[in-house]
Amino acid sequence: MRFAPLAIAVLVTSFAPALHAQDSGLASDEQILLNQVNTDIKAVYATNLGLTEEESAKFWPIFNEYQAKKKPLQDRFLANVNHFAEKYDGMNDADAAALLKEKMAIEKEGEALKQKYTAKIAKELPAKKALRYAQLESRVQNLVSRNVYTLIPLAR
Amino acid sequence: MKQIVVALTALAAFGAAEASLAQAVNTRDQNELIISQIQTDKRAVVLSALQLTDTQVAAFTPIYDEYQREMKAVMARGSDVINKFAANFGSMTDDAAKGIMKDFFKVRNDRNALLEEYAKKFGRVLPATKVLQWVQVENKLNTLLDAEAASIIPLAR
Repeated sequence: MRFAPLAIAVLVTSFAPALHAQDSGLASDEQILLNQVNTDIKAVYATNLGLTEEESAKFWPIFNEYQAKKKPLQDRFLANVNHFAEKYDGMNDADAAALLKEKMAIEKEGEALKQKYTAKIAKELPAKKALRYAQLESRVQNLVSRNVYTLIPLAR
Repeated sequence: MKQIVVALTALAAFGAAEASLAQAVNTRDQNELIISQIQTDKRAVVLSALQLTDTQVAAFTPIYDEYQREMKAVMARGSDVINKFAANFGSMTDDAAKGIMKDFFKVRNDRNALLEEYAKKFGRVLPATKVLQWVQVENKLNTLLDAEAASIIPLAR
């Protein structure tokens, strides 16, 4: 069974830096879409954080580094979703246990990474702006998760 | 599902306007009532989604109730963080912002750790496919609750 893996890939990877879209093997239309989404999402942070020039010079390198560090986790997430799709119709308990273990590991590492980079940002920005960044990051992640979850059925 | 969202909306109870934000801080008693309602509704949603056999329900229920009790404490702390945010919203200092961020992440970590801990517990009494389903349902519900909260809590300023 397959359930819109491309849509999931677009959702999950659309917040990575644009350069990653070129490595993903997606068709050119999707690359254009990803590039546009990447531009848009950066604009969302830029608009809502209201950074000064000095703050921007400190923030964006950390933000870009964070996005790059997230990329392997996004790849693992997509691989796990594809594995789930492959096993969906005849899933046994061993498959389910392995899928769950990987899912939880990815989520744990993702949360740790988010908090690590939020702490880095908090060292460079006023705490109020760092808190605002943490709120934005959580909202963006939640939006992605919600949309991804609507595309993935429950195991059976 | 809708009831859960409505209950959480009441729990967060942050109006869009700043003036109502400070007034909307809930008391602990109010929050406890609302959290209990959320959990009752959530239990029904989870049981409906998992479609367990009678034997599985008997094994699942006591562990799930224990999970809910522990989660209630985590949710109450989450509510405290929201109230702290509301209390400081109009004149947020850097120290308050740091404290809120630290508390927010602590609540998030504790919620994730609880989910992992209980997935292991369920794994001892249920087939792994059912445990995977449970985690999927919990994730979906948590995401829904987080989204609802985010939609009514303004960004710090």
